[in-house]
Amino acid sequence: MNQTIRSSRAMMIRGLLTIRRLPSAFFPSLAMPVFTMIAFAGTYFAITKIPGFPTDRSVNWFLPLGISFGSAFSGIGMGFSTIRDIETGFYDRLRMSPTSRLSLITGPLFTAWIRSLMLCAFVIPFGIALGARFTGGLLGILALVAASLGISTISLGWGLGLAYRFRDMRGAAVMQLTMFIVLYLSTAQMPLPLLQGWLHAVARVNPVTNILRLAREGLVNTTSPDYLSWNNTWGGLLAIVIMATLTLIFAGRGLRTLDK
Amino acid sequence: MSVLAMSGHTEVTPHSFGLAVRQTVAMAKRSTLEIFRQPALVAPSMIFPIFFAALGASSFEKTTNLPGFPKVDSFLQFSIAATVVQGVLFGSVTGAAALATDIQNGFFDRLLLSPTTRTGILIGRLAGSAIFGALQAAFFIAVLWPFGGKIESGFIGIAIMVVSGGIVALAIGALMSSVAIRTGSAEAVQGAFPLLFVLLFFSSAFFPRETMTGAYRKIADFNPISHLVEGMRELVLSGYTTSALMKAILIPTAVCIAAILFAQTELRRRLAAK
Repeated sequence: MNQTIRSSRAMMIRGLLTIRRLPSAFFPSLAMPVFTMIAFAGTYFAITKIPGFPTDRSVNWFLPLGISFGSAFSGIGMGFSTIRDIETGFYDRLRMSPTSRLSLITGPLFTAWIRSLMLCAFVIPFGIALGARFTGGLLGILALVAASLGISTISLGWGLGLAYRFRDMRGAAVMQLTMFIVLYLSTAQMPLPLLQGWLHAVARVNPVTNILRLAREGLVNTTSPDYLSWNNTWGGLLAIVIMATLTLIFAGRGLRTLDK
Repeated sequence: MSVLAMSGHTEVTPHSFGLAVRQTVAMAKRSTLEIFRQPALVAPSMIFPIFFAALGASSFEKTTNLPGFPKVDSFLQFSIAATVVQGVLFGSVTGAAALATDIQNGFFDRLLLSPTTRTGILIGRLAGSAIFGALQAAFFIAVLWPFGGKIESGFIGIAIMVVSGGIVALAIGALMSSVAIRTGSAEAVQGAFPLLFVLLFFSSAFFPRETMTGAYRKIADFNPISHLVEGMRELVLSGYTTSALMKAILIPTAVCIAAILFAQTELRRRLAAK
């Protein structure tokens, strides 16, 4: 167990060093959430005037979306790094080293979490400067951070699982595309009651809708039914636990196929 | 001896002009075939705009009653112009990336050494993007029409939008080709792609300018993409008008001329540096 923790820590430090050594790979995951937040909040400024919209500030609605995209790409970024390591042969050396297999997944997981926290630390103040207000106070921020960590865990499991199976950069395109689509086919742009047609049907069963509700519960109006409460929290947490478990199992099985 | 000197320059005569046209057509054929031979490269620029149009239609249908929103049958009808411009912008990067690949693998130098006009090399390369842009515009209109994306200006409007799609692709292709010629790197061309994304989002492509406020509204007011999309949108929503024609054709034409001149300057700079 101690060895797993030590190895995970070493893997995590290696992942974090990559941020310093290859900032061009990390910078987009910081810039993209900020861009998403500004572009969506500016473009769709008027949607807050629709009766039933849960907040009167568009930036309140789109700040969690930006962070969710950024967190998803934090996890997927570790999938990219793993593909690079597999292609260069470095991953074979890691697999041959006398360390636990678990650390090959938990190490990148810790890195993805730290990247997500860095993202939140950068984007939340930026959003507040642009006019976002946490109606749920500190608990609202915690809910958003929890959702961010959850999304990065899910995307990391998915990214690693695909990296182990594709073993080349074709996997990177699949990772991005699938996460992008899953996030969009939810309440990414509009609340569930205001969605119509096929998207309403899809978003209703998409677990990401619950995670976004968790992320936004501290930013919507206090009178909104989606405002901070246990009822709006547990669904998101459950969705994170189930999706993270499934994707991490997917990654674990992928690692075993790599060993074979 | 420089590449410029080796390839030689001849005085333009009717005979040489005809030859230049034939050379340009030959290179245009090559660039067009290249696009259609790599469907995986162009598929995203066909599928994603349709995906976003479908997503927007379900997400924002209720916004069509907001104050400042133009009179529309559906949000899908409102978003046709944005879908066309979005798809064409994204698709036009492919041609410039192919030019950068030609530079990387040395084929571009072989073209420069051959007795071919410089403009022909450039226009021939971009012609594929222009044809693809026009086809994209026609494809988006054809796919969205049955779902409520009616074009009020009828056949004339569709023809203008298709031509506009081709010119936009040529303009953006020329701009991106400048990046390709300057850097000689396909990665750099792809790296410049997010700038198009920013340009598109900070415009009135996805939502009417009348509903925006503050700095965002001011940026959208100055952004030429806003006026281009609004020209096309006028053709979709209100029918044919001269102002719509001017916006949909003249704006991309002006950008196109400036971009081609800039790309030629970059080409001359590259040749002088050799």
